[in-house]
Amino acid sequence: MESSIQSVEGMTSKKVFWSALGTGILVLTLLLVSFGISGVAYAVPIAGVGDFYVEFDKLEGNGYTFFPKMGETSSSDSAPQGTNLIENLTIDHLQLYKDFKVGGQWIRVKITASKPVQITGLQHDAGLIEADAKFTNLALKENHSDDWQKQFQQTSSKITLEHAKLKTHYLFQKTINMNGMRLTVEKIDKK
Amino acid sequence: MKFTKWRKARPIWGAFMTIISGLMISWVPLNLYLSTFLPGSIAIIGLLFGGLLTLIGIVALFFPNASKILGIFTIFLSILSVIGALGGFLFGTLFGIIGGAALLAWRLAPVRVKVTPPTDLEKSAHTF
Repeated sequence: MESSIQSVEGMTSKKVFWSALGTGILVLTLLLVSFGISGVAYAVPIAGVGDFYVEFDKLEGNGYTFFPKMGETSSSDSAPQGTNLIENLTIDHLQLYKDFKVGGQWIRVKITASKPVQITGLQHDAGLIEADAKFTNLALKENHSDDWQKQFQQTSSKITLEHAKLKTHYLFQKTINMNGMRLTVEKIDKK
Repeated sequence: MKFTKWRKARPIWGAFMTIISGLMISWVPLNLYLSTFLPGSIAIIGLLFGGLLTLIGIVALFFPNASKILGIFTIFLSILSVIGALGGFLFGTLFGIIGGAALLAWRLAPVRVKVTPPTDLEKSAHTF
């Protein structure tokens, strides 16, 4: 003779699980494809992992403003930086990279774009800028202000940078059009 | 034994995946916040998404009856986190979708626990 008692237990319905998973992935794919088709990502912050480097062969931009600021970095509470604002720009051979120390090894995460990258509404905070620069209508201006960030300003209607290397703390774009993007992760030798 | 009973009455895997996904999603903006001083920046959105997902995972453990609606929120938030927080480099989003689907599919159901009748040997043991 066999008897049984009733009890409640958690169960996972396979049908619901797979359809929910499928729907979720479908929506995610649609979202990514919509970025892919237009090649545009909106409101992209690229930062958050300490300093990273931006290198490119050539940058051409319109509506450039530069002003100094103090900002926090991974190694200091308050480090001098410069904020670059550019309304719209095109970059050839863009490379963004960041080195991470994993165990005893250095790993470089690198994003490259083989085709020209178009960006609008760029805000870029840099600690170091090395480049061959050309400006049109360059104005260096001192303003009378109690706020030291507003005392000095550099503006130009057109900016061209060649063979640039920028040590970047913060990068924000309103829209970025990155065709031929490639992301690689590689081991590097670094001391 | 007590833990097994507790675990069986809760959507443990869904909640666990959701918590991991929340932590992954907040990792990017958290670093951004610690390394740069950005008042009123978009990083807040990422922190909000990551924090909410972690919270949903914890809540699902203590309120298993709400797991369906929590699952829907988890999937929605983890997909949305791609915008603004990069979705924990997509891994967070994927974990979130899996966790959300597991929460959504979880339910309490009655089960029959078989009780085996005592054997002859046990019966005879009782007579002594």
